Amino acid sequence: MKTGKILLVVFLAMGLWAILGTPANSQPQEVVIGGIWPLTGPNAPTGVECVQGAKLAMEIVNGKFDLNLPLAKTEGLPNLKGAKLKMLFGDHQNIPDKAMGEAERLITQEKVVSLMGCYISGVTAPASQAAERRKIPFLDADAIAPTLIKRGFKYFFRVTQDDEIWFRDFMWNRFIPDVEKKKGGKIRNIAVLHENTLWGVDAARFGMEHAKKQGLNVLTEIAYPARSTSLTSEVQKLKMVERDTHMLLQASYTADGILFMKTFHEMDYNPPMIWNDGGYREPAFLEALGKKSDYILQRDEFSVDMGERKVLVKQVNDLYKQRFGVDLNTNSARNFMGVIALADAINRAGSTNPEAIRQALLATKLPPEQCICSWEGIEFDPNTGQNIKAVSLMLQVHDGKWRLVWPYEVAVKDLVYPLPKWSERK
Amino acid sequence: MFAATAVFLLLFPAIFTLPFPQHIMIMIFLYATLAQSWNLIGGYAGQVSLGHAVYFGAGAYTSSLLLMKWGLSPWLGMLAGAGLAAGLSLIIGYPCFRLAGHYFAIATIAIGEIAQISMVNWKGGGGAVGLYLPILDESFTNFEFHSTKVPYYYIALGITAIVFLVTYLIEKSWLGFYFRAIKGDLDASRALGINVPKYKSIALAISAFFTAVAGTFYAQYILFIDPESVLPLMLSILICLVAILGGVASVWGPFLGSVVLVSLSEYTRTYLGGGGKAIDLMIYGGLIVLIARFQPEGLMGMLKKFR
Amino acid sequence: MILPPVLQKRTSMFTSEIILQTLISGLLMGCLYALVAVGLCLIWGLMEIVNFAHGQFMMLSMFLAFWMYTLFGLDPLLSLPLGAVLLFLLGIATYFFIIKGILYTTFLAQIFATFGLGIFLHSMAQFLWTANYRSIQNPLLAGRIAAGQIFVGFPQLAAAIMSVIGFVFLYWFINKTEIGLALQAASEDRQAASLMGINSNRIFAIGWGIGSACVGVAGVLLANFFYIFPEVGFTFGLIAYVAVALGGFGSIPGSFIAGVVIGLVEAFGGLLIDPAFKYLSVYVLYLAVVFIRPQGLWGRY
Repeated sequence: MKTGKILLVVFLAMGLWAILGTPANSQPQEVVIGGIWPLTGPNAPTGVECVQGAKLAMEIVNGKFDLNLPLAKTEGLPNLKGAKLKMLFGDHQNIPDKAMGEAERLITQEKVVSLMGCYISGVTAPASQAAERRKIPFLDADAIAPTLIKRGFKYFFRVTQDDEIWFRDFMWNRFIPDVEKKKGGKIRNIAVLHENTLWGVDAARFGMEHAKKQGLNVLTEIAYPARSTSLTSEVQKLKMVERDTHMLLQASYTADGILFMKTFHEMDYNPPMIWNDGGYREPAFLEALGKKSDYILQRDEFSVDMGERKVLVKQVNDLYKQRFGVDLNTNSARNFMGVIALADAINRAGSTNPEAIRQALLATKLPPEQCICSWEGIEFDPNTGQNIKAVSLMLQVHDGKWRLVWPYEVAVKDLVYPLPKWSERK
Repeated sequence: MFAATAVFLLLFPAIFTLPFPQHIMIMIFLYATLAQSWNLIGGYAGQVSLGHAVYFGAGAYTSSLLLMKWGLSPWLGMLAGAGLAAGLSLIIGYPCFRLAGHYFAIATIAIGEIAQISMVNWKGGGGAVGLYLPILDESFTNFEFHSTKVPYYYIALGITAIVFLVTYLIEKSWLGFYFRAIKGDLDASRALGINVPKYKSIALAISAFFTAVAGTFYAQYILFIDPESVLPLMLSILICLVAILGGVASVWGPFLGSVVLVSLSEYTRTYLGGGGKAIDLMIYGGLIVLIARFQPEGLMGMLKKFR
Repeated sequence: MILPPVLQKRTSMFTSEIILQTLISGLLMGCLYALVAVGLCLIWGLMEIVNFAHGQFMMLSMFLAFWMYTLFGLDPLLSLPLGAVLLFLLGIATYFFIIKGILYTTFLAQIFATFGLGIFLHSMAQFLWTANYRSIQNPLLAGRIAAGQIFVGFPQLAAAIMSVIGFVFLYWFINKTEIGLALQAASEDRQAASLMGINSNRIFAIGWGIGSACVGVAGVLLANFFYIFPEVGFTFGLIAYVAVALGGFGSIPGSFIAGVVIGLVEAFGGLLIDPAFKYLSVYVLYLAVVFIRPQGLWGRY
């Protein structure tokens, strides 16, 4: 069959083409960095948000903007003769070996001088590992698993807050006592609900460990398979301890979150507080639930409400909205800051030498006024690469939007606690 | 033709010195090995297993856990894992081989899912968090290399070559004859006095053994494993897909299938995949339908047409 | 019943209300699984081909309900006939374009023809509509019914009732109408059937159409209370596959009952053992049944 033979040759040719890839991108006026995110598959919406945040940051660095951000007022990177920043994107499809492959491709063929990614911790691990093996700096702005900074890597940097640090230093000894103080009552007993993947398991583990250290009681821990078809048995188990529950600690992503809230309503489950470790950021969550999502609390590192006190946030958000039609959220904002921090470091290094960039990253001292996220700045711990100035905010849904409710000094809405029961809501 | 390919493969890392092409070839070898292993039980013996990932995972987890808990050399761990997988396959095969067609297939799916769910919940084995293999100095004994991929390349090539050789020998031997008889006509085989369960078990055991070997290789290559990456249903399906695309019950089929599938996957993802659109997967799916519809004997079938 | 101390401590927490609630939830979900399974079984019964794209067909009908609601304000209840008809046509189209050509090919090729179709449809959905989760905000069937401490979601109840109606209708159709009998005849013996003047191509196409229509109805019903996204077909498809095998290939009532059983096992497994293992219970059940009875509970062979 002639066609068969031709087809075969075509396939093999394609294969070779893929193997050889495009020639390296190295125009002298460009500094190339790479970003690997889930661009297809179930997390694609989030991957796209990350990419968009990065793109806006690049535009600001490369153009002239009157913003209080490093490199905004100049075009390109001044210490590199105005070279423009360019980012090449890779898609890891939630698969570790693809992440590794993309990292290698970007590093060895596209000659990127730094990498960013990957949102999913289990995939960020092999990608950053590839970077570490090749001594290329890797900046993580969205994957929060604690293990990532415990590997003793020298080229791994993370701007976003670590889950363990959050639970250890903030959740139980700052946030919860603050709620008790303002709203009265005691929050002592918690029910824990988490999905059975890397993020959910770790979040629950550290949440419970540090809660117990602060003297709280874990009434029950429920692990469930992500994206189940029905969540009634999980909610049943929660209801069994409902009477004593003061707070529900949850680690769920959007899809399960939607189903859970519906099931909570259906089965009349009324914990006084529903707290999620940050999986509900996608607009789809609020759209799908409407009023049912009211008063859910979520840890986040960005809120549009910050713009009420910080002009920079409003300015950047306006730009983002112009380009992409939606507000910034934590995913796009963190990656925005990640690119800014990286560009700033490259500029200070004055060279595209990865080692020099790494040194510059270690010396980073970005002040909070130049951050759009909730951090007190960007400064990396020299041993772990973790941004020690990262702190989180608490958002709560009011009238179908995430509003800033804690810390109280920057809050725009009053934190609602305890949650009104389903029967009391309209 | 064969000699030319062999020489090309041996010299590949010298010609293509960048790690990315080497990575692709390693993935091709990996999938070829997996597909070929599956081929023994699925292609030649006709037992459609849709849960082969359980053996892959068994290999990966066994060698990794032995390494992490007792410092056992990954090479010995590889043998241990492969042995465990083969043993597992005997236990699985015994009740399952009584089932016919779809029932068997679903039973293999059920077992695969049970394995994945169990590993997700077994904290001692890493659970959902997975296992991060320790980064040791690069050496052959440690089965880890960092500054270059070339040793990985040759190890993968070696494993693939061994599996292919074994398949070739089986095909030409009495064993192969029995397998094909079982696939072709079960009743006639029994009438001929062939101990059907015994030979099905042999096919599955050999298949499981090599699938597990590939599992250990993967663990040592990526240095991170979790239930999602080594035990999912999707992987089991992918293994079959590669074998079918290339042509079941043929020695070269799995290699061909792997080349096409891996290249297609990389090519479409690099040039078409980004941006959240799933064009690459659409092409993938469409291709499979076409092959199934027009050329069930896969690419090898197409090649045979103009031999 | 004397239980070991471990189980005793756990079961003491289970009041009769909790048990009843679990029973009802499991039953309702099970009916929906059952409807999906029945469609699959019908197709298999005819030509021994499993439609691996069944789950994706359901996904398409869910999106149909969503778009009808979002673009035209059509409530899913009204989209129900639309879903059935469009999926019916899709089934027929699938038959003529793909299935007809693989009727006599290898087992493997048959599996992967529809499997490839499934992958294609899933990716196409993502391409056209992105991977975002959609939801129908205010369907007519909304809210819950409370009977003391027992809560029943109204959409789930409606879905279950309609599934049962759908099944009863299908059963009647297969056994009491001419076309239905022709379907049965063709599945038993194709040659004899054609000798009797039954055009097997047309019959098979109709079979595919009806089987797909079933899943079309199930999808629209599900869209009332479940979130909608390209991957949703995968899980439901897998459960349907297991349900048909559990009930036994060839027995339509068997598939229905098996679907309900799976719903119950999932619910009780989650309650009694652990939600993390609820699907495990289903798979273990399947293996247990099939190792004892290799043809499933009511299977034909």
